[in-house]
Amino acid sequence: MISVYYFGAVSLILIGLYAVLVKKNLLKILIGLSIMETGVNLLLVSVGYVSGKSAPILSEGIGPNQAVDPIPQALVLTAIVIGVATTAMALSVAILIHEKYGTLNVEEIRRLRG
Amino acid sequence: MLKRALAIIFLLIIGYWLAQGLAGVPFGEDRMLVGQYYLDHVKGQTGAVNAVTAIVVNYRGFDTLGEVTVLFIASTGVGALLWRKKRERTAKTEGSMVLTTGTTLLFPFVVLFGAYIFIHGHLTPGGGFPGGATIATAFLLLYMAFITYEIPHKAFEKTEGIVGMAYVLVGLIGLAIGGYFLYDWIWQDWKLGADNIGRLLSGGFIPIIYTIIGIKVGTELSGIIDNMLKEEVSE
Amino acid sequence: MNGQYASLLIALPLISAFFVPLIKGLGKKAVKYYLVAITALQTGIAAWVFQQVYTSGEPIIVMAGGWKPPVGINLYIGHFAALFVLIVAAVSFMMAVFSIRAVEVEPIDKYTMLFLLLMLGATGMISTGDLFNLFVFMEITAISAYALTAYNKTGEAAEASMKYIVLGGIGSSFFLIGIALIYGATGTLNMAHLAQLAGAIDPTVAQVGLALIVFGLAVEAELFPLNAWAPDAYQAAPHPITAMFSAFVVKAGLYAMARLLYLMQAVESWHSVLKMLVIMATLTVFVAEFSALRQRNVKRMIAYSSIAQIGLIALAFALGTQSGVDAGVFHMVNHAIVKALLFLAVGHVAVTLGGTSLEHFEGLGKRMPLTAFAITVGAVAAVGIPLFNVFWSKLRILLAAIGAGYTWAAALVLIASVVEAVYYFRLIHTMWFAGEGEKVSENMALGLVMLFLAALVIVIGVYPDYAWSIAQKAGSDIFNVAQYVKNVPLMGVGA
Repeated sequence: MISVYYFGAVSLILIGLYAVLVKKNLLKILIGLSIMETGVNLLLVSVGYVSGKSAPILSEGIGPNQAVDPIPQALVLTAIVIGVATTAMALSVAILIHEKYGTLNVEEIRRLRG
Repeated sequence: MLKRALAIIFLLIIGYWLAQGLAGVPFGEDRMLVGQYYLDHVKGQTGAVNAVTAIVVNYRGFDTLGEVTVLFIASTGVGALLWRKKRERTAKTEGSMVLTTGTTLLFPFVVLFGAYIFIHGHLTPGGGFPGGATIATAFLLLYMAFITYEIPHKAFEKTEGIVGMAYVLVGLIGLAIGGYFLYDWIWQDWKLGADNIGRLLSGGFIPIIYTIIGIKVGTELSGIIDNMLKEEVSE
Repeated sequence: MNGQYASLLIALPLISAFFVPLIKGLGKKAVKYYLVAITALQTGIAAWVFQQVYTSGEPIIVMAGGWKPPVGINLYIGHFAALFVLIVAAVSFMMAVFSIRAVEVEPIDKYTMLFLLLMLGATGMISTGDLFNLFVFMEITAISAYALTAYNKTGEAAEASMKYIVLGGIGSSFFLIGIALIYGATGTLNMAHLAQLAGAIDPTVAQVGLALIVFGLAVEAELFPLNAWAPDAYQAAPHPITAMFSAFVVKAGLYAMARLLYLMQAVESWHSVLKMLVIMATLTVFVAEFSALRQRNVKRMIAYSSIAQIGLIALAFALGTQSGVDAGVFHMVNHAIVKALLFLAVGHVAVTLGGTSLEHFEGLGKRMPLTAFAITVGAVAAVGIPLFNVFWSKLRILLAAIGAGYTWAAALVLIASVVEAVYYFRLIHTMWFAGEGEKVSENMALGLVMLFLAALVIVIGVYPDYAWSIAQKAGSDIFNVAQYVKNVPLMGVGA
């Protein structure tokens, strides 16, 4: 039986991938990519969860044996920043594309082919 | 329609395949190996109570150096792609009274809160990246409220470079003192703040690095905002 | 000197990239020469590391923060990494020299920073010993590559970069899911530790995780069907950057793929992942060679040829035998030299004559004899004529493929090689026997670099033994996982 957290994460990944594959507007594709990244981050955090334990901040009565796995949370922190950087880069390229072609429809942007 | 149907079938296959894999990693089970080591030793080895930030800055410091670099690349790349001979802000509507008054009142407090977040990174959830992002929000508010406002570019760009170098320098000082790149000499050799665990003055070089990161992220994100809001004007 | 100083390979490009905003007031020229100086320094450090590793025969393990793996992140600079870090630095140095002449688009200071960080990313990917750290360095490489692809700010460049971003975004998401699965199954991220624990992983988890990681890296490694971005990006990027893409950025992805695959050898479902990779690699060779035949733009044609060669290397790594890996590493070295030479020469033609379509190459033998000679050497070598370096590695890959029982793959690759010969000889014919023209003056510094690379091609072609012995050492660094695990000073964690 698959847990609801995994289910949610995988659904987000698939929804994002669907947008990337099917949508024609460049901004929607980029939003799809962001949704996918969110899903992946959620998946990472859920992999590190241990039932019944608390956040890995060891103060106020939380001992080393009462905390969840801290590594995936550290990884997600890094992954989020990387996602932000990719999105910023992608948006500035989209601005450039709109300047040169006057459209964000991927079907009309086809100068390089073959 | 055919394309959509194909996409959905393709996605269902991927989803099934992922579920197959995830079934072997049951949710909520204790599988910690290296993670448990961190939890057991984090206080003694790094002086921080927040295990996540200790991992991010200290144990896995290379990742964070890379992360800072990624953000730096993004701000540089955005600057490179949107570079034009002359660019200006072209917004026409001045912010409403609520927005302008609120911004002037809140600006120092938002910056202060951002600084609070990154200085207390080793104690509470947060750290340099959220703190820096909060500071960038303050500048975004200024951009929204005033149509002519611009950040001091030159100063921001130089700050970005200087704090970036400061981070690498902290790592190189560790190499010179302790023999390892990114070695936490403040905690391991000097034992500063050893009886202060759980309070502000502890955690070795984590607060120092988080201050550096906070300033860097704040300036970088503000720079990205600035670049994206401007448009080319002919001379 | 202490081996920990090898961390300067990472620290130097970083700190010098952060330094650029402070000196950009000195003008464009100064920034370009600064770039040349830093890459020269990096080449010096890399040469020192190379000499250390190859004389002692021991890898250098850099431990960040003084934490022993798997608690901390370590860099593993063994025979392979030492060789390739040197190639990365040397090619970057040559391309920095080329940039002085080839890159005029503003803002140069940003170009310099991105250039240095691209070099940093590839260096990190090759030398890291930690799975997630590999992801971080991959993103450094990828994001600076996105920015540099679009750097010329033309419509084509923006479009190519967008393609690259979308594919790269999907790839990095897949890679992260793979990391999540493998971390969930083992509880560690250190590569040596993973290799130790690999035998105990549930086979389904390992198969899905490994396949996701291979797919994620396939974007960087330009394997079919995830390489749609590559020809566009190669064509649209500034000329020095194209050479860097082909010479080491893609190699870093390939190496990461090979390293992870062989580390997970103990996994039960290992061979099914290898089979998938063999098919992907053979298709890459085949599709790319036939696409190259149709091109009228020389830069794009060589881009396709580069992708085909990459497919060949991937095929060699996917065989799962020692001889395959050795041959693959040898081909990586040869390909880096040949493609750096070709893209440098073609870029030089483009800068001097204003374009890279086939018409610009008519009569090149009379207009720019030195450059035409360089392109000829590169083209003849790329086809795989005996007495040129690529011949030896191609031959060894084919023999290894037959030895591993993949005769059909070897046959398809041979057919593709004939196609390759056709379009390269068409190019050579156009250069020497078609068109007329006045002699144009050629840049002396670039001429020297081209002559140096051409000489390397011929020297390795005539005396392949020394280069082959280095490639064998580097190959067994990848293949011999037990030795890899032994070299990393793992500390015991947990029970």
